Order: sequence, then structure tokens, then C-alpha cells
Amino acid sequence: MDKFIKVTDVTKTYWSEDGKTETKVVLPLSLTIAEGEMVMFLGPSGCGKTTLMRIIGGLEKQDQGSITLAGDLLAGPDRRRGMVFQSYSSFPWLCVRDNIKFGTRYRKDISAAEKEEITDHYMGMVGLSAYSDFYTNRISGGMRQRVAIARTLASSPDILLMDEPFGALDAQTREHLQFQLMDINKTEKKTTIFVTHDVEEAILLADRVVIFSARPARVVKEIDVNAVIPVQDRRNNKADMQKFFSLRNEILEIIRAEYRQTMEAT
Amino acid sequence: MLKPLFVFRHALPRKTEIILGIFGFFLFLTIWHMTASSGVIRPEFLPTPFAVAKAFIRLFTERDFASDIIVSVGRVWFAFLLSVVIAVPLGLMMSTYRAVGAILEPFIDFVRYLPVPALVPLLVIWFGVGETSKIAVLWMGTFFQLILLIADDTKRVPTEYIESGHTLGASNGQIMRHIIIPAALPNMIDNLRITLGWCWTYLIIAEIVAANSGIGHMIWSLRRFVKTPEVMAGIIAIGIIGLLTDQAFRFAHARLFSYQRR
Ligand SMILES: Nc1ncnc2c1ncn2[C@@H]1O[C@H](COP(=O)(O)OP(=O)(O)O)[C@@H](O)[C@H]1O
Ligand SMILES: [Mg+2]
Repeated sequence: MDKFIKVTDVTKTYWSEDGKTETKVVLPLSLTIAEGEMVMFLGPSGCGKTTLMRIIGGLEKQDQGSITLAGDLLAGPDRRRGMVFQSYSSFPWLCVRDNIKFGTRYRKDISAAEKEEITDHYMGMVGLSAYSDFYTNRISGGMRQRVAIARTLASSPDILLMDEPFGALDAQTREHLQFQLMDINKTEKKTTIFVTHDVEEAILLADRVVIFSARPARVVKEIDVNAVIPVQDRRNNKADMQKFFSLRNEILEIIRAEYRQTMEAT
Repeated sequence: MLKPLFVFRHALPRKTEIILGIFGFFLFLTIWHMTASSGVIRPEFLPTPFAVAKAFIRLFTERDFASDIIVSVGRVWFAFLLSVVIAVPLGLMMSTYRAVGAILEPFIDFVRYLPVPALVPLLVIWFGVGETSKIAVLWMGTFFQLILLIADDTKRVPTEYIESGHTLGASNGQIMRHIIIPAALPNMIDNLRITLGWCWTYLIIAEIVAANSGIGHMIWSLRRFVKTPEVMAGIIAIGIIGLLTDQAFRFAHARLFSYQRR
């Protein structure tokens, strides 16, 4: 496995406004992610998953440590790391198609005609072609999130960073998007980091699950899901349910133990 | 057919709304007329609507009120636009760069609480009784309010929009032009409309204190001869101009930001 993304000894501490109390959010934490890999972040809530994700995306600055992408040291956000937020970040002043096309706006690697093509491609992929000229206040929350996902994909990032993107969606929309995301990850070899609190979602999508400790976050366990349930079986709805549930219980037990620590500490 | 009138938040047909609005005006005029013609209040204090309407026409035929209106409207728009072109960029900067905000906010908050009428004597000492002092009064009255309103509108643009811009590869300037401004624009236009209304308040103050032309000056000089119908007609003229401007802004707002319609 080549080390596509390399997080080395990253730490992050938040200070209260008066500078007196500190909140250690990330301890020296190291992590590597291979090109094309789908990595799911799991951990008790408030443990620092969002913070770590934002540091990788360049939207938050780590105190110490470094992050490299294909060997390049990263600082600050850029188009190589696309972010899909938990809240719907589609732009209300643009229609669905223009929102998605916005993803191509700052690309210099493709022609204007290709931008139109790519826009239509991703609009179709997220199933919104029929809503092309709808403004986003006329479509549902799930559709808005699909717009945001298509927009990010249209910008062609090297990595896709998704922070609980399906959290607020209804079950059908979520399942639909989960399978589409697996397809994109496998067909386009799009490296993806995905934060979730839904263990089943993590197992369904993951090549690898990374479980974090209670705050400050460190890696408690990494699980190679492919070794337990081949990704093909999961994509075809043919996963061995026995294995699926025992893996789920194993993960839940680890998170529960971490969660208990948080409760005892406070 | 009348049922929608009694259901909470039930939408009304546009036509019904207009008819009701006109009805409201007539109700007001009727009460006014009945009070004025009852003889309880002397006509020097409260003339009838008809007397005011006649005075309104006289203002234009006998006193060249039209040129007073032009002068006043010109002052308002000149000062207003002067506020806008400085306040909008500064307001955008204030909430985009924290340092700019930190420098300007305390000072602006201070100036904002100085009552503008209290500044009039000072501004007259500085600029005399010519056009400059009137523009200065209007500018002082709107600029410092507007800059904070614009800064607030900018601050309310969700951080996710700006961060999305960064991760889509936009530069700072592109984020400003392509994301922050379009996102804040509907609220900004609304605040411009409200600020323009304040401009009229300060204009009348400025024209009463130091002017020899304009609506405020006209009203104030007619007061000396207790020409109450003319005074009231002048005030109504201000109301009409205000109403028309406001409606024009609302119309433009609805057109420009049709995407907000549900
Ligand atoms: N900007 C911030 N300032 C201060 N504390 C923060 C900030 N962002 C997050 N935190 C704190 O850091 C901890 C981790 O937050 P987060 O990364 O959002 O956790 P998770 O996504 O795993 O639920 C929380 O305790 C949160 O209160
Ligand atoms: Mg989070």
C-alpha cells in the first residue's frame, strides 16, 4: 500500500477565550491512507473526528505535526481536498445545475465544454437532472445534500472528505447515496474519508474502519473490513450477515468502552 | 369565498391584498374628514382632506414645489450613494478581516450614538449653509449605521459557503465576488432600502435648520403663515415619495432575488 495521505504526529488543542482552560482534542496522532481507499472514522461523539477531518482538509490548523498528500506537505485548503459538510452548503442563489457547475468554476485543467459535460454527468449521477433549474429552496434537504456532493465531485478533488454527510437524510435517500458513493469510490478510485456515528454505515462503505478514543482522539483500533466481508458482497447486498453483525457488535463494544470513559471522566 | 380571511396565515390573492390596502387608506381618510368637518377642531389645526388636496395642487401651481422636490430628492440620493459606495466595501472588509473590524467597530459604535441633530450646528460651522453641510448631515446619519448593517449581513453568510469556496479552489477575491457578495446581497439591498428611509428624516432636519430650498424648507416657511393645509400637503408629499421609493426597492428585490420565493 502506498502512503497517499500521511498524517504524522498531529496535535490540536483548543483554548478557552480567556486562555486559561485547554481542551486537548487531538493527541499526537498518526494515520496513513492509501490512494483510492475508503476510510470510515468512528468514535464517541465529541472525540475530535470533525476536528481531525478539518485539519486534513486544511480548514483548521494543527498545532504540531504534518500532513502530506502524495508527498506534498499541505497547508491551508485547496481544490485537492473536497469537503462535504454535514449542513447543506449548496448556494441558494444558484439553481441546481449552476450549483454543481460551480464545482468546475476554478478548474483550469478542462475546457468550457468539458465543464458542461462534467456538470451534466454528476447531476445525473446524483439523480437531479429533472431538477436542473430548480433553486435549492424548492428541493428537499436530501436533494440539497446531493447537490453539494455533486458539486464537490465536479471539482475533481484527490480526496473526498465527508463529515456525517448523510446524517440528516431519510433512510431511502441515505441508502441510495451510500451505494452511489461506493460506486464512485471504486470506479473513479476516489480516496474518501468519511466520518459517521452509524456503525452499520461504516461497515457497509469501508475498506477500513478507524475507531478513535474518547477526547483527546487517538486511534484505538483499525479494522480491515475487506478482510472480513469482501466489498463486492456488500455492494451486491450479498454480505454474510453473521459476519456483518459480529463485526458491528465488536465495533460497538469498543466505542461503548470509550464512551464510558468519557462519562467517568466528567 | 371570505373564508381565507379568517384562517391563520392563509395566503390572499394579490388583488384582494391591493383592495384591502386601498380600503385602509380610505378608512383613514374618512375618519380624518369626519373629525375635521365636525367642527370640534379648528381648521387652522386640522383642515379637511379636500382642503389639503387643493393645497397640494396649489403647491405645484403657485409655489414651484416640483423644483423643491427635485432638490430634496437630489440631496437624499447624492448623500445616500456617497454612504453606500464607502460603507459597502468597508462593511464587507470589517467582517471578512477581523483586524479591520477590530479597528473600526468601537469607533463606529461611538459615532453611531451621537444624535445627528446635535451635529448640525457643528457641521454648519464647518461647511456653512451651502449644499455641503446638508450632504454632510445626511451622510453622518446614514454612513455609520449602514456600515454596521452591511458588516452584519456579511457576517451572517454561513461559514460553510466560504469554506466550500476554499475547497473548490477559489481565491480570496473570488470567494468575495462569487460567494460572499451574492450570499449577502438580498439582506444588503433590504438594508439599503431602510437606510434610504432614514435619509429622508435627516434631510428634513437639515433643510429646516439651514436651507433656502427643498421640501423641508418649504414646509418650514409655510408654517410661519399657519398655512396648515400646505404644510400637511408637504408632509404627505414626503410620504408619497417614500412609498414610491420603497415599492421600487421591493419590486427590484423580488425581481433580483426571485430564488427566495417559495
Ligand atoms: N472551534 C472550537 N473551539 C473550541 N473547542 C472546539 C472547537 N471545535 C471543536 N471543539 C471541541 O473539540 C472537541 C471535539 O470536537 P469535534 O471534532 O467536533 O468532535 P466530533 O466530530 O468527534 O464529534 C469537542 O469537545 C468540541 O467541543
Ligand atoms: Mg463531528
